[in-house]
Amino acid sequence: MKALHITDLQKRYPTGVEALRGVSLDIEEGEFFGLLGPNGAGKSTLIHCTTGLAQPTGGSIEIFGHDATEHYAEARLAVGLAPQEPNVDWFLTVAETLDYHAGYFGMPKRERRERAKELLETFSLTEKRDERTRTLSGGMKRRLILARAVMHRPRLLILDEPTAGVDVELRLELWHYVQKINQEGTTILLTTHYLEEAEQLCDRIAFIAEGQIVAEGTSPELAERFDVPNLEDAYLALVGRKELSRSHIEVTPEVEA
Amino acid sequence: MTTAQIRLATLWRREVNRFLKIKKQTIGAPLLETFLYISVFGAALGSRIDQLHGIDYVVFVIPGLIMMAWATNAFSNNSSSILQQKFQGAIQDQLSSPASPLELLLAFSLGGFARGMIVALLTFAASSLLVDLPVDHVLVLIPSLFLVGFFFSQLGVLIGVRAEQFDDVAFAQTFVLTPLIFLGGVFYSASLLPQPYETLTHFNPIFYMINLVRYGFVGYTEVSIALSLLALTAATAALFLFNLRLFSRGYRLRA
Repeated sequence: MKALHITDLQKRYPTGVEALRGVSLDIEEGEFFGLLGPNGAGKSTLIHCTTGLAQPTGGSIEIFGHDATEHYAEARLAVGLAPQEPNVDWFLTVAETLDYHAGYFGMPKRERRERAKELLETFSLTEKRDERTRTLSGGMKRRLILARAVMHRPRLLILDEPTAGVDVELRLELWHYVQKINQEGTTILLTTHYLEEAEQLCDRIAFIAEGQIVAEGTSPELAERFDVPNLEDAYLALVGRKELSRSHIEVTPEVEA
Repeated sequence: MTTAQIRLATLWRREVNRFLKIKKQTIGAPLLETFLYISVFGAALGSRIDQLHGIDYVVFVIPGLIMMAWATNAFSNNSSSILQQKFQGAIQDQLSSPASPLELLLAFSLGGFARGMIVALLTFAASSLLVDLPVDHVLVLIPSLFLVGFFFSQLGVLIGVRAEQFDDVAFAQTFVLTPLIFLGGVFYSASLLPQPYETLTHFNPIFYMINLVRYGFVGYTEVSIALSLLALTAATAALFLFNLRLFSRGYRLRA
């Protein structure tokens, strides 16, 4: 079954900016899928259209067979979103953030309490449970929005640059967690600017540029498609910056003492 | 509870939780403000004015103050809450949930409604301790206050959704709402005004709301109660439907 089935998706903002120009994309259930592209390519717009934060101006989106516009309730129930910006509610505590989110998804009180406890422990947030979210550090906010995204046990988890600006320790923690839930059956759509992250985590990757999917496949397939040795060079070819390839860096010969 | 009921209750709980966490500002300050009005207009001016239309001046003023407390708190709560959440981006958590436009609108509306009701009830309780405040027509009073509260909740939602900066909310409250309330006859009887001010007051919708609430308490009105109730019901329903349309379209909420 397809977790996400996007057909000819278009999004033109009222300002006239055409952010998506006929995107078609399929992600299979259980897949770990990466979406790469330069800033302004349309990654976040695609995610916003999928999660109901933006309204497409054309095309269709199906999430586990549910039309994201016509049957948005069923579609959104299946999706968890960890957005690029840690958009936590300043008035809530850490525990309330999780509790309210689960409530928005209709989860009963007892289940909310148990799930929140489990996630607070998983993301090392238990000690912070009664602190207001605005007092949290950037890393803690990242943990919290990921915990919030999985709180209602989504079948499709969307991670919009989840490791941007986080330290190595947290990045590895997040990797371990998302790999674990992927192995347990959660489909994952990841956008990132860290190519090694996409290469290491994703089964398949799509390149998006100027609102269109320009290439799709596994990391080796993309390298082959662009006739380069690796994913990073394929990406550089996509953005027209081949000269930045590390293979062009000349190695200075060691000078004998 | 069904999942829809849990969702609506949680959305509403979030709104109530927000204003209770800053209750010195959201409950305490409006109560103090109303108490000051009662002190100045009731105790100070009241000793000079004595009675209006056979009613003690302070008793004549208090129904308008109770209505004003409900109206302004419902309005400012909803406009501020929505704008703050848009500003923080936190509203995305609700917008990306399965909540329908109706559920979102109801929750935002009823948050301010609850805050207005709390401040109005506390004002009523405090006033009752200070003066002998009658409740002559409870069957007019309760629906009138509920309609006023819901109307201003809707107005707050509308301004909050439309607003792009805090200045927009402040403008609506300071330059539109407050003058309309003050000129609607909270502190005086329109029939005592010289022309053309008396006639102009009849074009102020808040004048009818004040009269409804005043009639509910003390039995005095300068307008038709039935017609005013009908007009207020129609205006509230129209505003609610307009907001529902905005929420369904995602106007300034969804990109």
